[in-house]
Amino acid sequence: MEVDQEDPLSQVKHPASTSRSGDGIPEIKPAENLHSIGIGILETWIERLLKCEILSESQVMRLCDTAREILVNESNVQPVSSPVTICGDIHGQFHDLLELFRIGGPCPDTNYLFMGDYVDRGYFSVETISLLLAYKVRYPHRITILRGNHESRQITQVYGFYDECLRKYGNTKVWTAFTDLFDYLPLTALVENRIFCLHGGLSPSIETLDQIVQLDRFQEAPHEGPVCDLLWSDPDERSAWGVSPRGAGFTFGFDISSQFNHANSLSLIARAHQLIMEGYQFTHEERVVTIFSAPNYCYRCGNQAAIMEVDENMNTTFLQFDPSPRSGQSNFSRRTPDYFL
Amino acid sequence: MTDEKLETTEVVGSEPTNGFRVPVKRILSEKDMDLFKNSITKTELLGFVKDLNHAVTGITNDAEISGVAPERAVSRIVEILEKVTELIDAHPAADQTSRFGKPEFRDLYDDIQRHSSQWIKEIVETDEKYCDGKDGNDSLVQELATYFNESWGNRQRIDYGSGHELNFLCFLYCLKSLQLIVESEYTAVVVKIFVLYLRIMRRIQNTYWLEPAGSHGVWGLDDYHFLPFLFGSSQLSTHKHLRPMSIHDPDIIEMYHKKYMYLGCIKFINDVKTASLRWHSPLIDDISGVKKWSKVNEGMLKMYNAEVLGKLPIMQHFMFGSLLPAPAGVSPESEHSASEDDHGHVHIPNTWADCCGIKVPSAIAASEMDISGGLRRAIPFD
Repeated sequence: MEVDQEDPLSQVKHPASTSRSGDGIPEIKPAENLHSIGIGILETWIERLLKCEILSESQVMRLCDTAREILVNESNVQPVSSPVTICGDIHGQFHDLLELFRIGGPCPDTNYLFMGDYVDRGYFSVETISLLLAYKVRYPHRITILRGNHESRQITQVYGFYDECLRKYGNTKVWTAFTDLFDYLPLTALVENRIFCLHGGLSPSIETLDQIVQLDRFQEAPHEGPVCDLLWSDPDERSAWGVSPRGAGFTFGFDISSQFNHANSLSLIARAHQLIMEGYQFTHEERVVTIFSAPNYCYRCGNQAAIMEVDENMNTTFLQFDPSPRSGQSNFSRRTPDYFL
Repeated sequence: MTDEKLETTEVVGSEPTNGFRVPVKRILSEKDMDLFKNSITKTELLGFVKDLNHAVTGITNDAEISGVAPERAVSRIVEILEKVTELIDAHPAADQTSRFGKPEFRDLYDDIQRHSSQWIKEIVETDEKYCDGKDGNDSLVQELATYFNESWGNRQRIDYGSGHELNFLCFLYCLKSLQLIVESEYTAVVVKIFVLYLRIMRRIQNTYWLEPAGSHGVWGLDDYHFLPFLFGSSQLSTHKHLRPMSIHDPDIIEMYHKKYMYLGCIKFINDVKTASLRWHSPLIDDISGVKKWSKVNEGMLKMYNAEVLGKLPIMQHFMFGSLLPAPAGVSPESEHSASEDDHGHVHIPNTWADCCGIKVPSAIAASEMDISGGLRRAIPFD
């Protein structure tokens, strides 16, 4: 169990919270937010997280507060410059995330774009989301983190992140802080106006990127409607819209992707959300690519992971990788669940 | 085992039933869940689990079972489960790389459904009072077949979870309600029927790559099953030497996995997952710290009550019929099916210029029609 350590800087005042910008127009701001934690402190947090050690409860609170001030200013369609490396689902596989940084290059040397699903199912969701947020606060312009369908209060209560926070902190305050923060994650990103990136897929309620910019995203991921669809939909071999077997979002066919890419002058839709045995897969005649970055998903599926590098000329290269050779031991001792006391 | 009261004392009555019928889903909201938690149906079902659990205390999978005559339903069910095995042989799965499980599962599912009415007819006709009724015994057979057919996983999503396992339990419960299974046969029901069902399910999971339905990932008890941990801990609760901590000893697992369901589950997990148990199954690792199997067993009963019978994501798929009647006051059947099923081509206003060119699924229409505004849709699957 992590002990909340004395932190001499916990009294440092935070700048007043930035008001919500409903119009979603991105502003390039200097990284003044950094000073609410301080670069030195942040670096020690990152160093600690890289050793797979969790932050204290109060540190998580401060990290979430600071990250929120950055994320609230990002657009629903956050512009990203190339070169950039685009990544799919992580699902708490922290050691594989470290392997990803070894393969793709460390942050901030490499500019990263993550397309959601950092938490649930894996053992190290807390460590994973903490590290990505620490990087976001430390290097706000070198890493973009989008929202996945698992970045939600309801879904994390079903699929494990809630249980993990309770198990590792003994209470649910950090779960509340993280899931409150999830409401601020941008829904989509746009690389050089050509590659449209999001977690799930398209929505029958959306035909232009401008419509996405206008959405109010600062809320719990809804059960239906455009915001839900962006997080839940899947491409399908059948044409047109279809009922999703998942019970949320839709399936969309080649005709839908074609029309969307044409209407928005896009060359490619990059998305995550589905396990791919090779880590990546093109569909819809190379108009859509699915990227999945959790190798051997759930310690079981035997799949490779992949990330997509986009260079300054917008050429794409895929890097595949296998599960990290795991080292070290769990930092948590056994604790008897309440049912068995 | 414990006789500790797990239920609250207030029990909700159920709707009157008129004869056998096809079971339907009725639970949609937390309010429905509260009604179910305090219902006679839930109490009876959990009571059945406790009685089965009690019947296998100290009994191994390979124990000699006496007192089950070959003409009894129990013997017939075993024969029918063997026929399911033959159907798996008839539908081999091809190599593929996608995530949604192997589609040949649907062929197996359909084939089981084609045969199940005849099989179940043979089971119920082991008692002559079910040999004919007003409609022969069709409505009874259809009520039982609905649970039996859903016991093998979800046809559309090609997944399986403790909710499907619960359907098999419901099938057995209905046979008990009809007195086709009696208490003196409970030991055989678990170590003959349930163990065989489990073996078949493992084969189906492996053959068709069934996805875990609603999996908590590493934070759940198991990707697929619950009851073998419950019955399995009862089997072990009188063992002189094996302790909950024994699950970490590979030699013990190798030696005893065929005798004890709990250890069989550990072997299955070790076989399919990599890295250490601590990481991919922290809950099982935590439970191994409990001193006695009897304590593990008590905990499993409490946990089954809370985490399976008490959870909306699972129970929204629970089906009520005449033998497992719905508690009075739960949501009517129509709301549930409207939000789930594709009722064909429905036009609704949307932002696409070309509405008629695009088939709009009826889930939208259903939610548009929902004036209550609250959560009325099933919780989605990842």
